[in-house]
Amino acid sequence: MGRAVGIDLGTTFSEVAVMQGGEPVVIPSAEGGTLFPSVVAISKSGERLVGQIARRQAIINPENTIYSIKRFMGRKWGEPLGRELPVEEDARRKTYKVTKGANNEVRVVMGEKEYSPPEISAMILQKLKADAEAYLGEKVSDAVVTVPAYFNDAQRQATKDAGAIAGLNVLRIINEPTAASLAYGLDKKKEETIAVYDLGGGTFDISILEIGEGTFQVKSTSGDTHLGGDDLDQKVMDWLGDEFKRDQGIDLRQDRTALQRLKEAAEKAKIELSSVTQTEINLPFITADASGPKHLTITLTRSKLEQLVMELVEKTLEPCRQALADAGKSASQIDEVILVGGQTRMPLVQKKVTQFFGREPHKGVNPDEVVAVGAAIQAGVLKGEVKEVLLLDVTPLTLGIETLGGVATPLITRNTTIPTAKSQIFSTAADNQPSVEIHVLQGERPMAADNRTLGRFMLDGILPAARGVPQIEVTFDIDANGILNVRAQDKGTGREQKITITASSGLSKEEVTKMQREAESYAAEDSQRREEAETRNTADTLAYTAEKTLRDQKEKIPAELNKEVEGKVQAVRSALQGTDVNAIRQAMQELSDSMQKLGAAIYQQQPPPGGEVPPGKEEGEGTVEGEFKEV
Amino acid sequence: MTEQEPEEEQTNEVAEVSEDIEALKQALAEEKAKAETNLAGWQRAQADYVNYKRRAEQDKEEVSQFANAILVLNLLPILDDWERALASIPDDQADLSWVEGIRLIERKLRGVLEAQGLSPIEAVGQPFDPNRHEAAMQGKGEEGIVIEELQKGYKFRERVIRPSKVVVGNGEEEKEEE
Repeated sequence: MGRAVGIDLGTTFSEVAVMQGGEPVVIPSAEGGTLFPSVVAISKSGERLVGQIARRQAIINPENTIYSIKRFMGRKWGEPLGRELPVEEDARRKTYKVTKGANNEVRVVMGEKEYSPPEISAMILQKLKADAEAYLGEKVSDAVVTVPAYFNDAQRQATKDAGAIAGLNVLRIINEPTAASLAYGLDKKKEETIAVYDLGGGTFDISILEIGEGTFQVKSTSGDTHLGGDDLDQKVMDWLGDEFKRDQGIDLRQDRTALQRLKEAAEKAKIELSSVTQTEINLPFITADASGPKHLTITLTRSKLEQLVMELVEKTLEPCRQALADAGKSASQIDEVILVGGQTRMPLVQKKVTQFFGREPHKGVNPDEVVAVGAAIQAGVLKGEVKEVLLLDVTPLTLGIETLGGVATPLITRNTTIPTAKSQIFSTAADNQPSVEIHVLQGERPMAADNRTLGRFMLDGILPAARGVPQIEVTFDIDANGILNVRAQDKGTGREQKITITASSGLSKEEVTKMQREAESYAAEDSQRREEAETRNTADTLAYTAEKTLRDQKEKIPAELNKEVEGKVQAVRSALQGTDVNAIRQAMQELSDSMQKLGAAIYQQQPPPGGEVPPGKEEGEGTVEGEFKEV
Repeated sequence: MTEQEPEEEQTNEVAEVSEDIEALKQALAEEKAKAETNLAGWQRAQADYVNYKRRAEQDKEEVSQFANAILVLNLLPILDDWERALASIPDDQADLSWVEGIRLIERKLRGVLEAQGLSPIEAVGQPFDPNRHEAAMQGKGEEGIVIEELQKGYKFRERVIRPSKVVVGNGEEEKEEE
């Protein structure tokens, strides 16, 4: 059994996507990039070319290069159809020959041979299939293919035939706006009205859909078959040409090399102005006259760009009004708005759409890919790859344990996909500590007290040892049902204790959201408290280390210094009793300074190299984090 | 102890036992079906994971190999500009040592990019090849042969990152201009 893919079979570009590990992935073409030109050609030497390669040779081989075949799918001569051009009209605009077959069916001629439109589309589908197979390393057997919402039965059947010719089992033909809605998971909504605004490179479509019980119904469609991003580029190009002519008196549009550069620069500037508010168009040596080389440098601002294209963008609103009227809806009755097509990245387009429908459109899925992504999701559902039981859950809140100073140390952070397990080694906080308490916490706040307690247990029988020496491994394991097992094991003795927390969430959705919100609102205060706790832990470690050094190195330390350090240790200890963190920091700093002297004194008495290694001068490092400490 | 029990009770017991067996059989069938579904799901997840890992490896390799490709691609217009600048040096200044210095800088930049794997695509005089060339228009000249280059094309480690934009001959005789 092969894989199932989703295919957006477009007029100018096509795309293919697949579900991988439960996520839709858009497959890059063998030539790089994910946009795949819907172009097929037979070269002069009789070779069949598809996609990018076919597009590159279109200009020198126009009569054998078939593009925009989608406009002929399922069409017949002399058959008017909605807002699409009649075949006669469309055929006249093409550089290849369009002929009449049996039953007035459309045929196109390529390499002196007649082909039906589904045969041409099949060549595109075959290439997409081959690229997908190369990417996946697996056979692709099935596909969901998208068509415009206004396609009639004959056009849909022709698309299905194309799939069959390409050796694909077409699981389903779905509407492009429906696919876009699926990509945003809107099929899970109850009874809603959705507007899908699709502004691509060359066409504009608006569809009004109604969803109920997981099925989509197209209420109306409208659009403009000759309005898109390319028209916007042309406006920018014209402006650049006019500006240059006014400044330099030279018309760049007469020079084909300059024109080519102008075109690329216009598109680049337009794209950049979606994310920045001004950009410099810099084309040095664009042309030359008797006085020498000429350069084009113009700053284009977003507001200037918007002024240039305003009229074009507003032209999309009339079809929107029409579609609403046909659906018998008012703008305020639209519950969701979805943007499709690269041109909808433009802030002006988003603003106009928001104003028109009175609500923010959905964003997040790449508007060039959203249709293919939706088709892939549908394919996954139909093949049973996206099943309810297989949907993986995530832990909504962070899980961890309390460590020294009341700090909550996370083991499993929130939004981790379950089932999952995580282990970490902790240690004791005091010398000869016989047991540790494992306090299992849930929540986002850094201090244990602010989080929810899920359970507690003791692990005892720890052999006497200095603090930080015993190794206690704590393991959190959440199974697919959200049941949490916490186990603590003393690596030294092998003793272990565990607890099972069945309702590891046990919280309603509202409570979860509340806890997450709280975590955000208390973030500043919390981080201060955490810092305090850490300062205390560091001070405590330092005092401990100092005492230990005094004990271990007694004979090497001058009495005077011994007394000084003892005094400083006392100061730190008494500061730790209080609540003034600055006092603790100060005492700690003083102790640290004395420790430096201590270290120096010990080293001075050190026999030459080869002798005994002095115990650590460890201030600042080895922060004890725990009642337990991470090792 | 069964010996003393009345027959009736025994039949009842048999009926009960056979009922139990039926229930168990059914439960077993259900569990078997469930186990099969789970096994299939687990196998699919496992397969997905293996495939994903392989894909991730491949991606990583490609990223490490072509991580620079995007940067290089964005540098190409600068290389183009430089070429244009050098091509339009006024004759009276061409021999200035200052101009020579600028030429050397261009050569250095090109050298760095070539060391990374950048190589220009041959165009003019070559047969048109859509794998490497993009036809922008046709002109008078030998049919199927590139007669003019509008924008230089480049390969990066044997992958075409920008095809040459070219004019291709249409088979008509070139105008005799002499």
